[in-house]
Amino acid sequence: MSLDLKFEQLIKGELKYKSVNLALNLLISRLQRKYAANKTPAELTICLQEMKAFVEKYSSIMTKDIEEIKKL
Amino acid sequence: MFVTLERAAELIREGKILHIAADESLLEQLPKGKWIGGTTPYFITDEGGVTSKDKLFVNEISCASDYKIAVYDKNNVSDITKDAYPNGLTFLIMPFGSDVAVFYSKEAPYSDELLLNPVIGWISGFDLSTDSKAKVFDGITGISYCDKAVALHVCLPDDKIASLGIVNIFDIDNNDTVIEFYEDSLSVKKCLVNGKEVVLSDYILENKIDTQLPLVADYNGVLINVSIKSVSEENSTVDFYAPVFAGNKYHFARPVSNYAASFAEYLQGLKDVKPIFSCNCILNYLYGELEGKSTLPFTGPVTFGEIAYQLLNQTLVYAEVIDK
Repeated sequence: MSLDLKFEQLIKGELKYKSVNLALNLLISRLQRKYAANKTPAELTICLQEMKAFVEKYSSIMTKDIEEIKKL
Repeated sequence: MFVTLERAAELIREGKILHIAADESLLEQLPKGKWIGGTTPYFITDEGGVTSKDKLFVNEISCASDYKIAVYDKNNVSDITKDAYPNGLTFLIMPFGSDVAVFYSKEAPYSDELLLNPVIGWISGFDLSTDSKAKVFDGITGISYCDKAVALHVCLPDDKIASLGIVNIFDIDNNDTVIEFYEDSLSVKKCLVNGKEVVLSDYILENKIDTQLPLVADYNGVLINVSIKSVSEENSTVDFYAPVFAGNKYHFARPVSNYAASFAEYLQGLKDVKPIFSCNCILNYLYGELEGKSTLPFTGPVTFGEIAYQLLNQTLVYAEVIDK
């Protein structure tokens, strides 16, 4: 639950996190621009789903990123 | 590996899954098999940059547990992520100046699926001293294309995963001039410079900006370049090798005094990388005078555009296959 909140804050640009993972950085940037262009709860949900799908797929190599994001 | 025509043909006959870059005259002599190819006579080998029409640069994709080759045009290139294996890596080659390359460069960054499916690749080119055409080859059929993209989708074992990286030697000063665009485009007349509308070609000419330096946007700490193709005073246009996107803030890159030294500096931190594929930009090769200069551990074709998920410019891109 708290991780979802961190993801929301990242998408809204309220938190900053830079990974060594190219795809994660591109994703954060893309979702921030996508949400900035349409700041609605529905868009935020879509962005959040995309972020969670990415994290789920790459969970095996994202342990460190997830831990760092939780600490933000 | 940088090999002769005979050796490349041998590898194909042995049934290896291959990515091949070479001059068109060599690619068209290869037997059919499990390979895709693209045209370029420029390479970075273990010994350094070289121009050659006698040898081919071959990447054997030995980590693949399965593969498929697909040909795309602008109408179906968006399917590339659907065609990719759930745990895989896609090698994509598109001819320079083709409609499919233009479409991909503009649309790929908007794909919801793109970052879930690693796509690495390049824009094929030609000998700049000739009027040749860029081509791609589907090794299964032996057919070459000037107007289509070819992709090699490989499936990876369950305990492996693909990881893409880039090396961009350019840097920006966030306090420097901010350039913003009204729309996604490969050709621009007007834009905003520090919030004020200007004709970009006039701005570049009046300020004597070095057009060998790309425009750079910050994607959450990843610097993404857009290289300038031409500036027309007559038409008041600036053309780019990759699209600029509305909503991004761009800066002109800081000047690089010594390309080769800058690469060497960046590569110090990447000595342990074991790329299964990499390629570097023709503009880095030319402006950086990389002929004869090594960029180990990164070797591969010198290209007219690089793909790491989306189209990039003046960037070295690489793919690794790592343990999960």
